[in-house]
Amino acid sequence: MARPRGTDGSLLASLPWTLAALLVSIAPHIPFLPPWITAAFLACAGWRYHVERKRLALPSAWLRAALALGCFLGVLATYSSISGVGPGSALLTIMAALKLLETRRRRDQFVLLFLSIFLVMSSLLREQYLWSLPYMLVSILVIMTAWLRMPAGERQSPRQSFATGARLLAYAAPLAIVMWLFFPRISTPFWAVPIDTSRAASGLSDTMSPGDISSLSLSDAVAFRVSFAGPVPEPRDRYWRGLVLTRFNGRTWTGGRQPGRDPGARDQIEARGDPIEYQVTMEPTQQQWIFALDMPTEWSLPRTYFMAPHQQLASSVPIDQRIAYEMTSHTDYVVGRELRDLYRDWYSSLPPDSNPRTANLARVMRRAAGSDTAFVEAVLTKLHEEEYFYTLEPPPLGSNPVDRFLFDTRRGLCEHYASAFAVLMRSVGIPTRIVLGYQGGEVNPLGGHLIVRQSDAHAWTEVWLGDAGWVRVDPTAAVAPERVEIGASDAAFERVREGWGFSASSRLVQQFTMAWDAINARWNDWVLGYGPDTQNALMKWFGMHEPTWRKMLLTLVILVIGLIGAISLILMFRYQPPEKDEAAQLYARFVARTGLEPHTGETARLFSRRVRRTGAIPADTIDTITDAYMDARYGGNDDARVRLRQAVRTMT
Amino acid sequence: MSSIPWPFPEARGYLSGLSRRGRDRVRRWARRRQGADPSTATLTPGRVYILPTGVGLVFGLMTFAMLLGAMNYNNNLSFVLTFILIGVGFVAMHQCQRNLVGLDVTFAGAEPVFAGQAIRYRVAVTNNSKHMRYGLRLYTDTAGSDVQDLAPGESKIFVLAARTSERGWQSLERFGICTLFPFELFRAWAWLHMDARGLAYPALADDAPPPPPTMTAHGHRQHDARGEEDFAGLRKYHEGDSPRHVAWKAFARSGQMLSKQFAGADTSSQWFDYEQLQGLHPEQRLSVLTRWIVDADRTLEDYGLRIPGAEFPPAHGDTHRRRCLEALALFDPGSA
Repeated sequence: MARPRGTDGSLLASLPWTLAALLVSIAPHIPFLPPWITAAFLACAGWRYHVERKRLALPSAWLRAALALGCFLGVLATYSSISGVGPGSALLTIMAALKLLETRRRRDQFVLLFLSIFLVMSSLLREQYLWSLPYMLVSILVIMTAWLRMPAGERQSPRQSFATGARLLAYAAPLAIVMWLFFPRISTPFWAVPIDTSRAASGLSDTMSPGDISSLSLSDAVAFRVSFAGPVPEPRDRYWRGLVLTRFNGRTWTGGRQPGRDPGARDQIEARGDPIEYQVTMEPTQQQWIFALDMPTEWSLPRTYFMAPHQQLASSVPIDQRIAYEMTSHTDYVVGRELRDLYRDWYSSLPPDSNPRTANLARVMRRAAGSDTAFVEAVLTKLHEEEYFYTLEPPPLGSNPVDRFLFDTRRGLCEHYASAFAVLMRSVGIPTRIVLGYQGGEVNPLGGHLIVRQSDAHAWTEVWLGDAGWVRVDPTAAVAPERVEIGASDAAFERVREGWGFSASSRLVQQFTMAWDAINARWNDWVLGYGPDTQNALMKWFGMHEPTWRKMLLTLVILVIGLIGAISLILMFRYQPPEKDEAAQLYARFVARTGLEPHTGETARLFSRRVRRTGAIPADTIDTITDAYMDARYGGNDDARVRLRQAVRTMT
Repeated sequence: MSSIPWPFPEARGYLSGLSRRGRDRVRRWARRRQGADPSTATLTPGRVYILPTGVGLVFGLMTFAMLLGAMNYNNNLSFVLTFILIGVGFVAMHQCQRNLVGLDVTFAGAEPVFAGQAIRYRVAVTNNSKHMRYGLRLYTDTAGSDVQDLAPGESKIFVLAARTSERGWQSLERFGICTLFPFELFRAWAWLHMDARGLAYPALADDAPPPPPTMTAHGHRQHDARGEEDFAGLRKYHEGDSPRHVAWKAFARSGQMLSKQFAGADTSSQWFDYEQLQGLHPEQRLSVLTRWIVDADRTLEDYGLRIPGAEFPPAHGDTHRRRCLEALALFDPGSA
């Protein structure tokens, strides 16, 4: 059963293109693949090409089997799983690399090209940026060219194959657009989508440990975008509520679970003033939290989302896709006026013997203040007037981090201030909790929407002050009011600008950034967010009453058939033999008039003799027409064509 | 054939018989609806058939799987990718069919061969349109031509080789032209039923007896003078005249090729006579005659051929050789 292992160079014309197709489809995966897989693929590709060029033997079956086993175990060891986009694309890459080593015929190349199509698709499952679409089109074009190169061999130039591929792609584009628009979208998946554990969660973490450096503060990535029905709220009102932390172990704040699960545990909200209506498009976070303007009062969310205690909105599964939701909030509200004693203790508990200096300070200040409200004011004044600094690079804190921060280092981020403030409050028995979310956001003048970035991540506190309910207190605002007034991202932008030293062109840069963001927002809304709801809206806009999937499919089929008919017509005209020239047409009229049929191979001259014998047409007319036709047809003579036209006209 | 025995040999035979019968039925249907083709046939859309290939079926399954994946992940760019591939599939189907439609197919003859040799039918395919035609191939049940492309206005010869076993007319009852362009997802083909014939001369006998001695027309041994004693005049040179009879002096003078004509009964010649080859099977006789003619032609001898019902007086040259061999090829022993 030993097959010949040698190569004959017959794949030389197509192999480079197959390799290019694989490279193009693997490239978007490379940042996510373990380096050894990329290296293995490149090594196999280089090896295979070398083998073909030098007409060497392919590696033996044993070696290939050993490599396959090794690579499979390697993937298993790296990912400890083989499902999901990460391990899946790693396996596809490995399969392509190993398949290359046994590729000797065209059928093997087909397998490689199918693999590269799957790789393109899996890169789209991983990320869908604005440039993903053009990159995908380029990938398809390269794959199609490689496909055309296989049978073409030496007969066609790569350029010809590329042009053919581009032309076919252009024909397919309208079909693809129609199918994309009208193919009915469903909202529930068929099977459970595996969660990609290889992808790090972005955005807020669900614990807070002041002293751990926050990497978020430097990330310009968009957390979510908001379109308001009315005017955009003032910067100081842009508190985007996320999750609420209630337990503190002396170092780390965590969510904690409220004791008891009775519905009364949910705080009562009394909304005042005008409602603010808006829509949020949130980037995937792999976490459960959903952000809303403080304080959300109404919302339209799919079933898998719910309102958790402490006015936290959450999803029951990690958010792994971009989601859009509509909310109504009130910035003027009273929440949780009633707080049972049980909870009062729970919200003011602290681990014993931690941060003793802070506890002391709180007791002294509370006694001096006289009331809880005055105490809050006094603490904020202290933070504002004493030497406390807001910095993105806080010094590390040891044990008793709150003590160390308040009395020694005195520099920190919002989370340091929120944590210190909450500990001060709790030390004297005032119920306090920490809210994580975002503060601020930047209005995009082109799109009119608000962009909230990861660098806007913020932590603040809520203090329960009896009749006033839970009152938001942002200690960071006392230390660095500009953080709240102009927002962290603008501050970051200032830094970048100074660092790069291009203040003159900064307006241009900012405009460009804004334009790019506006395009991205449209992209998200209209392309990536095209789902059941958007589709329904579009169908209604097209004039379809009560769109159902049946109607959409029917429309789809009709349109596709129409388009294919059009393409077929275009192709028919393109491939039609060129029109006979005028001389030939005129001569054909003459032939029809004679009633005779020219024989194959009979020249016009010989034919004219036969016609003359019939006597149906005057001999000189026959001669004029025959001469003029010969001159016009073979002499390329315009003058002769005129003579022919006249002669044929007078004949009839 | 695989070395693993198929557990149900009868079933395999039955299935292959079934598929063959189905194929034959389809072919007969196509033959009936198309009728016989003239010597130049234009491939009209109605006679170009198309079916997906194995690769095409796999491609279809793949796009279906991708569609399910895109629906499940609700991933809009995956939808775009899937729909582009489906669109490309549709376009490829039409492109594949259009790659054949409008071609002119002409049977361009076949050089005669000796039975047992492969006859090479030549078929000219002409592209009268303004666009390239890619990856065209002609085929029969037993043979296939090279794959060729046709530029606009170009005409190329495709060769279909076929084994011959018997002398006589060899006809290409049916042949096909097919293309897998552009992606081998579909195969478009057309059947052609032309009067495409080529002649097979009788097989060349390997161990032929020596040819009969050179004789005069009356059966006497040839004189050395070789019947050139009675010069009768000159006539225009015809193809097949012996170069020895050309009036070279006259040619040098006038530049006109003239052949000398000789009178008299003693015109010398070698006669190959079917009847004289006693004791041999008719086909063997024909083979021997064929061998003699080919050898005589090579040595530039004049020779005549006599078979029941036909006689070719001694002469020489390609035309003579062809006429003699054709007569042998088409000779019907039953008529003798």
